[in-house]
Amino acid sequence: MQKIMGSHLTLDHFRLASFSLPSSLLHWSKPPPSRTWTVVMTYQQDYLSPCLYPLSALSDIISTVEFNHTGELLATGDKGGRVVIFQREQESKNQVHRRGEYNVYSTFQSHEPEFDYLKSLEIEEKINKIRWLPQQNAAYFLLSTNDKTVKLWKVSERDKRPEGYNLKDEEGRLRDPATITTLRVPVLRPMDLMVEATPRRVFANAHTYHINSISVNSDYETYMSADDLRINLWNFEITNQSFNIVDIKPANMEELTEVITAAEFHPHHCNTFVYSSSKGTIRLCDMRASALCDRHTKFFEEPEDPSNRSFFSEIISSISDVKFSHSGRCIMTRDYLTVKVWDLNMENRPVETYQVHDYLRSKLCSLYENDCIFDKFECVWNGSDSVIMTGSYNNFFRMFDRNTKRDVTLEASRENSKPRAILKPRKVCVGGKRRKDEISVDSLDFSKKILHTAWHPSENIIAVAATNNLYIFQDKVN
Amino acid sequence: ARRQSRFSSGVFTDRGSTPRGELVGTSCSRLSFGTWAGAHRIVSISLGKIYNSRVQRGGIKLHKNLLVSLVLRSARQVYLSDPCPGLYLAGHPGAPAPPQQPEESAAGPPAGWGEPPPPAGRAAWPEPEPQPERPAVPEVPRAGDSEPAATVTAAGDTLQGGEAEAPEAAWRRVEGPRETAVGGAGGPAEVSGVFPEGPEAARGPCGCPPGDEDNLSAAPRVDGCRAPRPAAAEPPASPPVCARKRGAGWVGGGPADCPAPGSTPLKKPRRNSEEQPGGAAAAAEEEQEEEMETGNVANLISIFGSSFSGLLRKSPGGGREEAEGEESGPEAAEPGQICCDKPVLRDINPWSTAIVAF
Repeated sequence: MQKIMGSHLTLDHFRLASFSLPSSLLHWSKPPPSRTWTVVMTYQQDYLSPCLYPLSALSDIISTVEFNHTGELLATGDKGGRVVIFQREQESKNQVHRRGEYNVYSTFQSHEPEFDYLKSLEIEEKINKIRWLPQQNAAYFLLSTNDKTVKLWKVSERDKRPEGYNLKDEEGRLRDPATITTLRVPVLRPMDLMVEATPRRVFANAHTYHINSISVNSDYETYMSADDLRINLWNFEITNQSFNIVDIKPANMEELTEVITAAEFHPHHCNTFVYSSSKGTIRLCDMRASALCDRHTKFFEEPEDPSNRSFFSEIISSISDVKFSHSGRCIMTRDYLTVKVWDLNMENRPVETYQVHDYLRSKLCSLYENDCIFDKFECVWNGSDSVIMTGSYNNFFRMFDRNTKRDVTLEASRENSKPRAILKPRKVCVGGKRRKDEISVDSLDFSKKILHTAWHPSENIIAVAATNNLYIFQDKVN
Repeated sequence: ARRQSRFSSGVFTDRGSTPRGELVGTSCSRLSFGTWAGAHRIVSISLGKIYNSRVQRGGIKLHKNLLVSLVLRSARQVYLSDPCPGLYLAGHPGAPAPPQQPEESAAGPPAGWGEPPPPAGRAAWPEPEPQPERPAVPEVPRAGDSEPAATVTAAGDTLQGGEAEAPEAAWRRVEGPRETAVGGAGGPAEVSGVFPEGPEAARGPCGCPPGDEDNLSAAPRVDGCRAPRPAAAEPPASPPVCARKRGAGWVGGGPADCPAPGSTPLKKPRRNSEEQPGGAAAAAEEEQEEEMETGNVANLISIFGSSFSGLLRKSPGGGREEAEGEESGPEAAEPGQICCDKPVLRDINPWSTAIVAF
């Protein structure tokens, strides 16, 4: 598998951007066909330029964001079951500045709401995860999943169409063979580019519980899907069966103590995967060891700090996301208040712990009451594994530089993403005197949460989903 | 685009949560870990969440319900341990010493939260069947089978033995035997050691075979998910009596007698009673008021306490309906609907209605 090494981004780049006076220009994308749009502007270097996509196509809340392996495509899924794919505009000599602009490439309805009559349950159409397959031909393939069903979609372009059939006319109506006097050979003629998405595989009926993760294996032949209690291994070609590789369902459901919250394959070793639990533990499993990987190869758990004990200790220790680093040497986990980096060779504690919004620790009861404590934040690595990013509330998202140990809080909001705007670092005032630009904890808007972010595999381009808005920020270093 | 644009940015609405997503006011922030008031509030909030989870789109979320149940158990331990006047059977010979609980529940490691307090030295209810080792608890529903009949019988005996008790005490006491009957894991799970090995088949009549693969709604029991039971997995004190599950932790009893073993319950019992208490709580709340308040818990305490003995002597059939009414869950006809047999409800006195609703 190709090793992806991005340019080294330091927090200084973000910091400097806030103090320089660039004429950063807002970078707008082309709207979907049904929309009228206004401005397409260029941008300059040395700052973060927000690209705002308040697309009407994203009418529902964005529930997942994912770059493909080259970063050329960016897919978003929403609560309405739709997938919108953006494509990066190609660099051209005439319009150097337009490189990096993401335009809508394809929109399709991936999942529809379903009703399980047997259990009187409605199955949400919300797209929980999208994962791209590496590109192997002209078409693009991605997996999208809701709570119950995984689908493999093929996204392909069509720019030619055949013309000159004998048995049907130009409108497609059948011709009476008796009227045909001559024969011709159909030819391919160019047409307007059309991007079509077709479902190539539907992997259904394999999960009793809600699917929370899918992960493509590095062998590109298999992938896994994980629900609360089980993980299944699929072959892309076979839809009517899957292998169950992890099953933590107890014989007596009353003894249930933890559920699976996320799972991912190792980026290089096709036999290795990890899954996280609601108890704050991570298990690394080797599929060579046994068919059913109920016994882990490695078990990562940090001892709890008894001084932090509260009613909600279990909830905030539940891991909401786990991601391998691109190098495959580390894993990153996100729980409610922290992001942790673990070395695969050290199981008893993480090597790094970053506080995302520790000021919420004293507010857990309120956050429990308004359900925010159950929010599942994701976390991402940059291409070089030197910076990690995760979301927070009030449309804030955080970046941590692992080398310099510096961090920054940025905001993704329409008010702060006007043309020529740069992203200013934000700060939350915990107590005492609040400075001018700071925001106090009690003023945070907990309905504006950034759960899903994505980082371009090799460049400093990030996609941030804030409710139903998608922001693409770019940092161009001179 | 096949969907109408729905502006949802900035609007944070969720049943059972604040409209705007701002931090809730001071009452919550003042509550400190370990205070009874805090636990009380958290318990009622949690019950509401469990109830709401039944009506949410997409079905019961196992993960969230598991987390809520863990919070419930933690809160319940504090709730129990804090000696409140009238809440404990001070005069009751079998009253366990409340202070013991906080020590145990506070016992350091996280593991302590999930394990039942040691059985030793616990109160013994003066009842024919094995005693619970803890006082009655505002038990949130257990996924395991409840034996309402056994519970009620025991409760009845207890009550008759001490009707002079404070209403809260009576309510508590009712919980005790029921808890015993259920023999829940975790929390008062110590009782499980007390009971005879209940047959797994005891769950059969309930229609809830253990280990049902498709038990999507199998949210873990509030009290006992964490610790594996020391003894039998299904320790019903009187399994044959009423194998139907009951959830409402708050309601101690049920009918004095239960359907004969093996009888089919009127409604298909829930696979997991996780939703029940929440549902019941919410239903009670709906009956009383829209808001989720902690005051209703105290109301129900006094309701039960003052009228329970009378309730027991009322028609057993009606009692059964109460139990019936408490059940709900994904197997119910409609998600979110309390499975109550309305005609029966009309015949029950208002107290029973409140209990049913709860």
